[in-house]
Amino acid sequence: MVILSLFLLPFLLLPLLYIIRRPRPVNIPIKNRHVFITGGSSGIGLALAHRAASQGARVSLLARSLKKLEEAKESIRLSSGSDVSIFSADVRDYDVVQKAVSDAGPIDLLVVNQGVVVPQELEKQGLDEVKFVVDVNLMGSFNVIKAALPSMKQRMDRLPASIALISSQAGQVGIYGYTAYSASKFGLRGLAEALQQEVIADNIHVSVVFPPDTDTPGFERESEFRPELTNILAGSSSSMKAENVAKKALDGIQSGRFIVPCNFDGHMLAIATAGLSPQRSFLMAFIEVMLAGVLRLVALFFQWNWYRCIEHWHEKKKDT
Amino acid sequence: MLIFIVLAPFLLLLLYFIVQPQPVNIPIKGRHVFITGGSSGIGLALAHKAISEGARVSLLARSLSKLEEAKKSLHLAYGVDVGIFTADVRDYDAVKRAVVDAGPIDVLVVNHGIFVPQALEKQDLDEVKLMIDVNLMGSFNVIKAALPLMKVRKDNRPASIALMSSQAGQVGIYGYSAYSASKFGLRGLAEALQQELISDNIHISVIYPPDTETPGLEEERKIRPEMTNMIAGSGSVLKAEDVAKKTLDGIKSASFSISFKMEGQMLAIATAGASPQRSFFTAFLELLFSPLSRLITLLFLSNIYRSISKSHAN
Repeated sequence: MVILSLFLLPFLLLPLLYIIRRPRPVNIPIKNRHVFITGGSSGIGLALAHRAASQGARVSLLARSLKKLEEAKESIRLSSGSDVSIFSADVRDYDVVQKAVSDAGPIDLLVVNQGVVVPQELEKQGLDEVKFVVDVNLMGSFNVIKAALPSMKQRMDRLPASIALISSQAGQVGIYGYTAYSASKFGLRGLAEALQQEVIADNIHVSVVFPPDTDTPGFERESEFRPELTNILAGSSSSMKAENVAKKALDGIQSGRFIVPCNFDGHMLAIATAGLSPQRSFLMAFIEVMLAGVLRLVALFFQWNWYRCIEHWHEKKKDT
Repeated sequence: MLIFIVLAPFLLLLLYFIVQPQPVNIPIKGRHVFITGGSSGIGLALAHKAISEGARVSLLARSLSKLEEAKKSLHLAYGVDVGIFTADVRDYDAVKRAVVDAGPIDVLVVNHGIFVPQALEKQDLDEVKLMIDVNLMGSFNVIKAALPLMKVRKDNRPASIALMSSQAGQVGIYGYSAYSASKFGLRGLAEALQQELISDNIHISVIYPPDTETPGLEEERKIRPEMTNMIAGSGSVLKAEDVAKKTLDGIKSASFSISFKMEGQMLAIATAGASPQRSFFTAFLELLFSPLSRLITLLFLSNIYRSISKSHAN
């Protein structure tokens, strides 16, 4: 009898979690709404643009290279007949970003997706590369959000809006070779947690997407000079195609999920690193509470594995 | 949670074998402790504590006059001379000169930081940039400057790089978008850096103090948005000496995460994530209490969002 009631106790959690869930669940429509994607000319950004356009959204792309933007525009026109607006800007330059955002018109779904990655041991890495990664990925995101916020806050319709930040699994756990990249991506989460509290009253919903290694031109470039040990450690998580990441991302964004994982490993990581992130779904909240301990154990196993790999790798190097 | 209690002995044994990196003790006596942002607040309190434990201390900060006051107060208290170096952590060359002049470092305490709370909508991007440049980029500068000599140190004893974060580096709160961004960033840096430096016997610690009685806090309090106070104003305020003591203890045991008081422990468990944990017993506590801590977290967040709703309705 005692055992039975102890067993049922967790299920009392369900109504509790239902009552306390805040922020409330939300559905963010995408059809006929304005989706603005930075880093939108290739990779995940372009895949997101294709998907949004095919779902009836009006899409704007911001990126540095006008040529790539024009190719992207053409490919979307061919696949979904939709006309996207393109804006050339470096996210590090606030004034140019401001102008692009202003020209594009009020934004409903802002997807802050631009990012660079230069994997290297900090000891070997030039500080200008570190600065580059932090400036583009983190400061650049502040620039984009700051530029878009005023018009988002004053939008005519009172439909829910979204600010989505594309992070990375390296923004959930720091790995050898990623000091600068993980720093920038972890930073996005701190920004997002605070920002959500600041914009919830304006019916703006913040999402942070955590893709694994994704088949993109960016990843190809990165793979060429990723440290060997980074390759070994990052291999613990499977990679994904950009279209699949885009699907998971947009689904998560539209349901206003704060943390959006993209694959099974990502879901496990998301529960392990739930931390103080808000959770709108009472079912997901229940899973997080129930599995928190198990996933921490799994995470500890991963670290055990990683540190052993690192040790073996160094021993091998010493022998050669 | 019950499962964990029942399986406790088995789990403890398992955890004993899998915790990584291995536990280690980092001696302080007779070693060189280099503290950035060391002329006041927690940095200065750390200097006091380190000296009282027999360390040779160097302080880096911007203001020469504050450094000289700190030097004098330390000399009065302990009869010991500390090295003082002026530099702005944003200036790599100046930091590098200071680090070279100070001599090889055993315990690097990256403690400097700036905090300007404001809703992002109202905050100037210059202020955002300042916090990221000083708190995050500045930390990269300091670590990069100190690393070469730390890697080739003569003795083979364990060394430490400690990063001063904040509870705002565990949870983002209204008004802290830039500050939390910079402090969360330190954690990403730390997790990756530990994997890179473990083979050099250098151990990373990240410290998460709550509000601490310092000149910095006084300044910050004056400009905190009302909403931030409502949400975060009720936490405990610690004395700098107490933060320094717990910090140094944590650095000596090479704890990856150092927290304060019950609140801090709960936060640490909630945000343990995928961070390394050297103590098998603490790992066990994390497993045991993470479900409860996530539940408490959800209640806490629910409260915050309710307050925001109510306040907006008024």
